[in-house]
Amino acid sequence: MTRLNARGLTLGYDDRAVVQGLDIDVLDGKVTAIVGANACGKSTLLRGLARLLAPREGAVHLDGTALAELRTLDIAKVLGLLPQTPVAPDGITVADLVSRGRYPHQGWFRRWTDDDQDAVARALEATGTADLIDRPIRELSGGQRQRVWVAMALAQDTDLLLLDEPTTYLDINHQVELLRLLRRLNADSARTIVVVMHDLNLACRYCDHLVAMADGAIVAEGAPTEVVTAELVEKVFGLSCVVVADPVAGTPMVVPA
Amino acid sequence: MSVITAAGPAAVDGALRAGRRRRTTRAALVIGGLAAVAAGLFVVTMMVGSFALTAVEVVGSLLGLRDDPSVDFIVLGLRLPTATAALAVGLALGASGTIFQQLLRNPLASPDFVGITSGAGLAAVSGIVFLQVGGIVISGFALGGALLAAVLMYALAWRGGVSGYRFILIGIGVLVFFDGLIGYVISRAQLTEARQAMHWLTGSIGQAGPDELRLLLGALVVMLPLAVLLQRQLRALELGDDAAAALGSRTELSRAGLLATAVVLVALAVAVAGPLLFVAFVAGPVADRLLGPATGGILAAALVGASLLLTADLAAVHLMPTPLPTGVVTGAVGAPYLLWLLATTNRRGAGG
Repeated sequence: MTRLNARGLTLGYDDRAVVQGLDIDVLDGKVTAIVGANACGKSTLLRGLARLLAPREGAVHLDGTALAELRTLDIAKVLGLLPQTPVAPDGITVADLVSRGRYPHQGWFRRWTDDDQDAVARALEATGTADLIDRPIRELSGGQRQRVWVAMALAQDTDLLLLDEPTTYLDINHQVELLRLLRRLNADSARTIVVVMHDLNLACRYCDHLVAMADGAIVAEGAPTEVVTAELVEKVFGLSCVVVADPVAGTPMVVPA
Repeated sequence: MSVITAAGPAAVDGALRAGRRRRTTRAALVIGGLAAVAAGLFVVTMMVGSFALTAVEVVGSLLGLRDDPSVDFIVLGLRLPTATAALAVGLALGASGTIFQQLLRNPLASPDFVGITSGAGLAAVSGIVFLQVGGIVISGFALGGALLAAVLMYALAWRGGVSGYRFILIGIGVLVFFDGLIGYVISRAQLTEARQAMHWLTGSIGQAGPDELRLLLGALVVMLPLAVLLQRQLRALELGDDAAAALGSRTELSRAGLLATAVVLVALAVAVAGPLLFVAFVAGPVADRLLGPATGGILAAALVGASLLLTADLAAVHLMPTPLPTGVVTGAVGAPYLLWLLATTNRRGAGG
């Protein structure tokens, strides 16, 4: 049993089930990518794993207990999530935004402590945003802004971190930069990371474990070199392709046929 | 708990601490300054009038330090209730307005623009015209109307949760609907009732009765500290519902609590003084300008509201050739701000 897992998980909006009877074990201390075509339910699954969406059936377990039985503040000390489109309040500075990640560690009356201070400083350092602290978010480039949001999630200081399409609106250089940052965060502290993303090649290159979804179900999972085949890509994305080895890292690379 | 990397260099730590100190100092100065301004205006309000008093006389009488029956009569008997009403209504409107605006993430979303105040107005005017009520009963109707309007909007906007944008659109719809009904009700009224209704709708500090005022003061003592405590929830909610939930905030509960606090405050304020437009609308942005971006201090906004309303009341009663209802002055100050906001909102990307 891994720390975060789901059994028989059915998730949906209104009366439409998006994910149906799904089982997943999120590998501890690994970087997992959830990939799939648009509307395959990968973001829904991530929201379900982070208790943002209550299960219709089944349950998500964190350290052996169903999420529904845990206090949401206690979950937030162990499990962090960076949503797809978080909102930056008008005019907010980097330091202020990253500090908001400390929310679950503060009480109604508790003041800012040295632990809060350290966590924020470490998050800024780790993401290379320490020299931006007095800048307003809206003045930053897309890549910087995304790193600041990751810093906020890091300041929450959780063992598990889920990210919903953190690379989608970034150019290739910033996508790679962000994925390397996630790798480093994983290497430094054995933090468990789950990232929903679109670019299959980058997912193969930078993640330990791949979960491929189609129509609300997992169709394949495992190390990228083991699972990524032309048949799988055809099945998941409906794209006929050739899979070759990445000339640099040797990981699978998908080339449209 | 996990450890990220080795602690960052002292430079980051120092810069963070300095920034935090700067913000704390600024907040203390702004809140202290605003409290001083509000207190000063409160005293000045009781000094001016057909019989001018000195500040020493007013404060002495308030604190019971002097024994001068005629001064005591003017201060405690005549002027204190009005001044207290202006202070309390201003505090309530300021706090309520900024909570609405932050919760709905839109500077246009103050309670006077999303139908709460109109709900109070419709109920009060209906009471005046159809049931010939007066005095505290009008205030009771206004209170009930505001609460009903809020519940109605919350129910209409509910779809497995309440989103800010939908709430605003429904609020504006409700506002237009209620204003139409107010026009209809007044058109059915006798002349004297119509005059009374129009006067109530303009809003005036002078119309406050002692019972409504006591109720509002009681509510402020409970709700203002509560609102300041709930500020923590606002800090999380304004990052978006998903981010707030991921941080461990119980989003629907927090939002409902904040809305309820804001609605009760604005409803009681309207019950005391009628719909004084623009005070709730302007107070939050002014406080934010003073405190710095994205601070959204509820206490500061409440104090700005009180200062604005005390100033408006002084202007309405003493600066004009004939005393005017307070609502005329707040409207004259607030309307240009609304125009400026509408003209600049899209540029700042806060239009939706």
